[in-house]
Amino acid sequence: MKTILVVDDERNLSLLYEQELGEEGYRVIVANNAKDAIDHIEKTPPDLVVMDIRMPGMDGIEAMGRILSRNNQMPIILNSAYSSYKDNFMSWSADAYVVKSSDLTELKREIRRAFERREKA
Amino acid sequence: MPPSDGIALLKTTLAMVLAGGQGERLYPLTRDRAKPAVPFGAIYRIIDFTLSNCVNSNLRRIYVLTQYKSISLDQHLRLGWNIFNPELGEFLYTIPPQFRTSETWYRGTADAIYQNIYTLEQERPRRVLILSGDHVYKMDYSRMLRFHEERDADLTVACVEMPRERARQLGVMEIDADARIVGFEEKPADPRPVPGNPRAALVSMGVYVFRTETLVRSVVEDAKRNTAHDFGMNIIPDLVSRGRVFAFKFHDENRKEVQYWRDIGAIDTYYEANMDLVGADPLFNLYDRAWPIRTYQEQYPPVKTVFDGEEDAGRPLLNSLVAGGCVIAGGVVERSVLSYGVRVHARAKVEDAILMEGVDVGRGARVRRAIIDKDVIIPPGCRIGHDPDHDRRRFTVTEGGVVVVPKGMPVD
Repeated sequence: MKTILVVDDERNLSLLYEQELGEEGYRVIVANNAKDAIDHIEKTPPDLVVMDIRMPGMDGIEAMGRILSRNNQMPIILNSAYSSYKDNFMSWSADAYVVKSSDLTELKREIRRAFERREKA
Repeated sequence: MPPSDGIALLKTTLAMVLAGGQGERLYPLTRDRAKPAVPFGAIYRIIDFTLSNCVNSNLRRIYVLTQYKSISLDQHLRLGWNIFNPELGEFLYTIPPQFRTSETWYRGTADAIYQNIYTLEQERPRRVLILSGDHVYKMDYSRMLRFHEERDADLTVACVEMPRERARQLGVMEIDADARIVGFEEKPADPRPVPGNPRAALVSMGVYVFRTETLVRSVVEDAKRNTAHDFGMNIIPDLVSRGRVFAFKFHDENRKEVQYWRDIGAIDTYYEANMDLVGADPLFNLYDRAWPIRTYQEQYPPVKTVFDGEEDAGRPLLNSLVAGGCVIAGGVVERSVLSYGVRVHARAKVEDAILMEGVDVGRGARVRRAIIDKDVIIPPGCRIGHDPDHDRRRFTVTEGGVVVVPKGMPVD
């Protein structure tokens, strides 16, 4: 079973992700800030990370840089309520950029794609 | 293209000079300094040629990416290149590794750009000109930028014809009739010849113009692979197969019969390139007022030659470059390059040599085919470059037979 680490400071949203992605057959772990996420990845690396950008403390783009510097193969999907970060070059290291929505179809699709790309490579 | 477009072209271009290599093949000249900061041609540092090209091309938005042993490079840039006006949008900044997207030093040329994506995000140029801090040549980059725009290229690589045996150390390309690159191979064992000239190959000069988005995508993708993270080995071959990649033929502002471009990669190349300056009709011309080479110059008294009454002190200086503050006191200097404040005492003879700042050649000493680094004192009667076996026991001697005495080394 693939493990997905969801990094988001909004607990309600994390719960939604946990439930919906769980139904897709993934094991979901939640971190509520970037620092906890990095610590967690260090100890037990997940198969994919869904990362919010705007969070108190370290933001998701900075956290992504740190995660990739230790493991350049880690699939990361940026997931933000704002589309404005999409053009930011710093966010181009992500496997995908998904604007938050109550409908998780796009996020689920990008997760599948990221796994497929890794399997091909 | 109207002049205003030309200015816009330059203002929307960012130059990034790669100056972070370790320069291992230039050791011991790089023992205490970064390769671009190695003194060259009596008063210059190697990076001055690339930066002079930028200024002479009117390109005045420059980042220099530094890394190893950057103190003297940084000092040189502060003292000699503090000529840009930020109020007019001009700048030259040095950036050491920021460890923002990585916890390692630069793993290759492409990684150096990857680790500086933040800088590209801040500047948001339309195109990025990537340059090396260790090449000697004269080039008007604005011609290449125009070519790049006219072709609507993702990447343009500057190229020059080179004898095939020398091309083995470089990136070799194959182009079609429209100058589109259709093949690119780094350090090939058997370089593909230029059509119509079986002895020459078309090599990359390590000068690239990228559409910024293409550059960012390329280095980001490369960072996720376990490659050499090198433009020549990874980024360019990959883009050739899926993007609009063109070759821009080097237009040499040196205006000599043979085009002049040198990658100062190894000590023998460094030595030869210095010697290219000293001939009566030098291969590389430093004296063209239309293409000034800028540097930092310290205050020094004028060069002095002294006749001390001894017989063989007839012609103290011949076919040489001599920086300020040198005193040739009864010795002889031929086909050599002398940096600031060198002293050559009575009956000493210096031939085909590079003497760096503060070197003192004692009475009756003989120096031939040698590079004497900064502040070395050669005692009276000492011989360097005359007995290869003896030299090998004391100093570095290159494949080409050039003796190198490292900075400050006591010599007896």
